Amino acid sequence: MLWLALKTLIHEKGRMVITLTGIIFSTVLTLTQVSMYLGMMGNATAVIRHVNADIWVMSKNVQNFDFANPFPEDRINRVRSSADVVWADRLILTWGFLKLAGGGQEQVQIIGFNPDTGVGAPWEMVSGKPADVKGGRYFIIDKTAEKRLGGLTLGTLWELNENRFKLVGLSQGVKSFTTAPVLFMAYNEVHNVLSGLVRQNQTSYIVAKLKDRARMQEVVAGLRNSMKNNDVLTTEEFVNKTVYYWTVQTGMGMGFFLTAILGLIVGGAIVGQTVYANTMEHLREYGTLKALGARNSDIYSVIFSQVAISAVAGFAAGSVIILFLRGGIEKAGVSLYLSPVIFGSIFCVILVTCLLSAFFSIRKVRTLDPVTVFRT
Amino acid sequence: MTVILEAEGVSKIYGKGENSILAVDDVSLSVRRNEMLLIMGPSGSGKTTLLSIMGCILHPTSGEVRIEGKAVTGLHEDALPDIRKQYFGFVFQAFNLFPSLRAVENVELVLRLKKTDKTGIRAEALELLKKVGLGKRSHFYPADMSGGEKQRVAFARALAGDPPIIMADEPTANLDSRTGQDVLKLLRDMSEESHKGIVIVSHDPKAEALAHRVVFLEDGRIRS
Ligand SMILES: Nc1ncnc2c1ncn2[C@@H]1O[C@H](COP(=O)(O)OP(=O)(O)O)[C@@H](O)[C@H]1O
Ligand SMILES: [Mg+2]
Repeated sequence: MLWLALKTLIHEKGRMVITLTGIIFSTVLTLTQVSMYLGMMGNATAVIRHVNADIWVMSKNVQNFDFANPFPEDRINRVRSSADVVWADRLILTWGFLKLAGGGQEQVQIIGFNPDTGVGAPWEMVSGKPADVKGGRYFIIDKTAEKRLGGLTLGTLWELNENRFKLVGLSQGVKSFTTAPVLFMAYNEVHNVLSGLVRQNQTSYIVAKLKDRARMQEVVAGLRNSMKNNDVLTTEEFVNKTVYYWTVQTGMGMGFFLTAILGLIVGGAIVGQTVYANTMEHLREYGTLKALGARNSDIYSVIFSQVAISAVAGFAAGSVIILFLRGGIEKAGVSLYLSPVIFGSIFCVILVTCLLSAFFSIRKVRTLDPVTVFRT
Repeated sequence: MTVILEAEGVSKIYGKGENSILAVDDVSLSVRRNEMLLIMGPSGSGKTTLLSIMGCILHPTSGEVRIEGKAVTGLHEDALPDIRKQYFGFVFQAFNLFPSLRAVENVELVLRLKKTDKTGIRAEALELLKKVGLGKRSHFYPADMSGGEKQRVAFARALAGDPPIIMADEPTANLDSRTGQDVLKLLRDMSEESHKGIVIVSHDPKAEALAHRVVFLEDGRIRS
């Protein structure tokens, strides 16, 4: 009965347009909410995921990557003493103020990494290389900060917490959840120059690589035992903890979730309403179909096919709109994370919503008595 | 002439208790092949109810309906759509065409419903429209056709799948008298040429002249 569904849809363009509007609305709203949320979570965990480590050691009760507390850096020796560890390194995460040419200042996130090993270094460079920060007051900053900081020319001097630093490289794709610009410098320089931020002999994180990832749980358990004053997490656990913090503890995830659900409900209501109006209008025809020998299931298939065709068309149009707007949205500083899996999942959600919205129509058809066709 | 459809002692009571209406009261009637049977009677006498029962669309309160000698009254509700599909073509007073389908597609729809093999369906639908004299207007939508043309499409649709029984409820009520006459002739020819049993309900005196057999219904009973 797909044949009848298509013919009717095409013949009634006005109603089709309303149905599609509802589905497009749902698609655009749901896709933006989900991709914005995932984009933000991607930013919030970007550094964790790109430091090629298996284990993260931090001070007790750190809730997410951005809010670290310093602890003695020599505890790295306990990590290194484990036979399962290939390498271990230190990483500082702190915050400072960068003075702007115009006179104002901007809060920046500072990552201090070891330029000899490159652990914790920016993973994609536009110009310069990570090792350039070695041995002095040098820094790399992410290109996305340009909007906030003004022109970023290599070789220029910048004032960071009243100390002059030279810009030696530009990275790309390093964003933080807070949207503060992310700045990289040598681990030692943080101690030497910015001792007001992180005291000598203190670090924010110790990261380590294992010989055999299969032994992860044993190694983590061992380290937890020997480092009672620290939290020891696998990379995956730390990513999850950070995501959990921003999503649940700040209530932010709920905001995205509610908006997405609202989009689905409003879209579903529009679709349900038009499908129901459509069914009521065609009730006589459906009664005729029944009298002519159609089963209820034949008529359900007409209604469901119409809904499914609308869902596919509306979702496709909504997706095109999103892909079209994506550039502009990202230019405005909002990261959208879109992938085939996300398109696929949202499509399933939209389709199910549309099919559910046809429920009342289906009920109407089921109770429709074919005798009505003889009445005028 | 072989009997194809029989109603035996059928009654239908609508509603319950004090408000119940006895619409059909102990009617026995048979329909034969090659015959156009006309049911006449005043408005409210139970004609449509009787037609619906005989057409397996409505369950009688009591009595039995048999098709080719087999009782269908005792069958489960789910079996009825297939019986309607196999044995009946219906023509309704208000035509009941699908407005979003062209004439030929309206016929095609029933063929699609009745047949599992979809090849040649379009050609078959066109052939049926030609038979009712609408070969040239097969691509019109119902909205662009006259009452007589719509009723012809409805006939073509009733003929689709070549059912042995055609039932028509007041097929001329919405037509002018010339067109009504044509349509009735068409029905009568169908009964004689394709060996169908045809049951029509009508007030039309012209129908009385054309029918092979007439029964009168009054207060749900056949007047003898
Ligand atoms: N669905 C129904 N519910 C209750 N009463 C009905 C229903 N259909 C018909 N009737 C009543 O049954 C009687 C016969 O109706 P009907 O078969 O339509 O007669 P006709 O077709 O001869 O005009 C009428 O009194 C009518 O009001
Ligand atoms: Mg009637």
